[in-house]
Amino acid sequence: MSEGSQGLLLAGVGGQGVILASMIVADALMRAGHDVKQSEVHGMAQRGGSVFSHIRWGERVDSPLVPLGSAEVLAAFEWAEAVRWVEYVRDGGAVVADVRTIVPPGACNDHRSWLRRYPGIDGELFDSRHLKTRLIDATATAEELGNVRAANSVILGTVAAFIDIDNKHWEAAIAHLVPKGTEEINLAAFRIGRDVAEARVPQTAPDPEGFSGPHQIEINHVWCKGCDICSRVCPEYCLAVDVDGKLTIIDAEACTGCKLCEALCPDFAIEISAPREPAVVGNQAAADGSTL
Amino acid sequence: MTDVKTYLREWAMPHVLCPGCAHGIVLRSFLNAVDQLQIDQDKLAMVAGIGCSSRLVGYVDFCTLHGTHGRAPAFATGLKLARPDLKVVVVTGDGDALAIGGNHLIHAARRNIDITVLLLNNSIYGMTGGQAAPTTPEGALASTTPAGNTEPNFDACKLLMGAGASFVARVLAANPMDMTKVMADGLDHPGFSFIEVISDCPEYFGRYNKVGGGAEMLTWMSVRDEGVAGPLAEKRFVNHIPIESVPSGMETGVLQREIRPVYAGVRKVEDHES
Ligand SMILES: Cc1ncc(C[n+]2csc(CCOP(=O)(O)OP(=O)(O)O)c2C)c(N)n1
Ligand code: SF4
Ligand code: SF4
Ligand code: SF4
Ligand SMILES: [Mg+2]
Repeated sequence: MSEGSQGLLLAGVGGQGVILASMIVADALMRAGHDVKQSEVHGMAQRGGSVFSHIRWGERVDSPLVPLGSAEVLAAFEWAEAVRWVEYVRDGGAVVADVRTIVPPGACNDHRSWLRRYPGIDGELFDSRHLKTRLIDATATAEELGNVRAANSVILGTVAAFIDIDNKHWEAAIAHLVPKGTEEINLAAFRIGRDVAEARVPQTAPDPEGFSGPHQIEINHVWCKGCDICSRVCPEYCLAVDVDGKLTIIDAEACTGCKLCEALCPDFAIEISAPREPAVVGNQAAADGSTL
Repeated sequence: MTDVKTYLREWAMPHVLCPGCAHGIVLRSFLNAVDQLQIDQDKLAMVAGIGCSSRLVGYVDFCTLHGTHGRAPAFATGLKLARPDLKVVVVTGDGDALAIGGNHLIHAARRNIDITVLLLNNSIYGMTGGQAAPTTPEGALASTTPAGNTEPNFDACKLLMGAGASFVARVLAANPMDMTKVMADGLDHPGFSFIEVISDCPEYFGRYNKVGGGAEMLTWMSVRDEGVAGPLAEKRFVNHIPIESVPSGMETGVLQREIRPVYAGVRKVEDHES
């Protein structure tokens, strides 16, 4: 590992703009005078697979890869990706994660193991390692600003608070790299992200039960004909038709909200609604011991 | 996104279709497409012939017309000429559209009248008890072909391309998201758009041919599509059902799209009256 260098990891799923975000980070770091190396892997990006990018910076960097357990910051644009990559963060480092969950479509899920579940959203997951955790609903923030695509800039704003370079480099990099015409909205998103990092605005608390769900499964028993399609296609084995032909929920907790059952029910008899709105609390900073 | 149930005549539900019949899945995807395009419920007319597929018009809260067997394209042509302001959609079955109604369909395509036809192909006459249709594959069992069908079958999309349809697509009931997207494209297309939906009939086709119920039929239709079979063989789509790739040369997606003059496209009701 090169002397005096630091690392950052960005992770998300295909289509989220992880690569653009990492170009912005690299550009900002270069503007601040660092030597920067960046390397990316697009999993099954087109199919919503994992996409991640390593960035290392310092006086001189020889390799772009961030060794396990050494990253300053993990920027996760999707919750499962935060859980997947958190081992790369050094003890005491920071995890900035969007609480948005993008569950891989059921038909393409790999479910050899019954135990495999979409991880519950739970900031405390990282507490044992004294990580500074920032969970943000960046998508909702960006939507409020009027463009979902600006969600990544919210995350970058929060990330910026953990990287010691001048704010002007970030803003210059964003203005330089985001699509023409979206500079203002992305800068606004970036500033909100920074405010979140400094706990100047209320933050989204993790679901107290530690689950991304529960997605509510609602069955209309008057319309349901017990055809068994939903229970057979459910990748999480949430549903079953009993001997009397009645559809029952056998594992509500396991539902990831993929809605495959809903789309394939010929009788409009099963509906999945979004997980409960996460509660908004005064500030999340207390969780990592920092003050307002 | 609106709850698709707002487009249903909820009082008429549950519908009459058999358990697991994919026609209901097709309806849901279609309603999603209507919702995506934000088509005004009072400006959408659905016209059907006779058959289980055609029955779908009874459950939608649009302007609906349940006509006679095979004649839906003719009713729809008349309706569109009289009321060019309406979006006109035909829902039909393979028996309805390709046997008794074959002529109406090809001539509507030839004229390029601005309507959308959804043909729900389940390879059989479902409503009347599982007789062989012009779409029943060779060798398949039906109540009229107890030793296996000896006739070759139509490829509805090729037929319609030959007849000059300016938009031709094929989708699978097992792929509801793709179905919605292609239906939205078809609805948007200026001119005659034809969408063959590979649907199913677990009650007759599934039972006679020992394919199984609704879930198995969805898998079965998927593995006949070359684009889907490979990836599906690696994953498990329907739990506990082993999947082998059964290529049949069936292609899905938009197969033809061209812009050409729309029939009576310039004529408005006003012109007619004056
Ligand atoms: C003039 C006339 N001939 C025959 C019938 C009987 N009939 C009703 S539905 C049908 C076949 C429908 O098959 P299809 O269009 O494939 O619909 P599905 O039920 O398979 O969805 C037939 C032959 C009829 N109703 N009217
Ligand atoms: S797919 Fe629909 S009708 Fe069939 S068992 Fe499930 S909820 Fe009931
Ligand atoms: S119950 Fe429905 S939405 Fe939930 S995991 Fe199963 S198929 Fe997906
Ligand atoms: S007879 Fe066949 S096509 Fe008709 S509703 Fe039953 S399963 Fe569906
Ligand atoms: Mg039929």
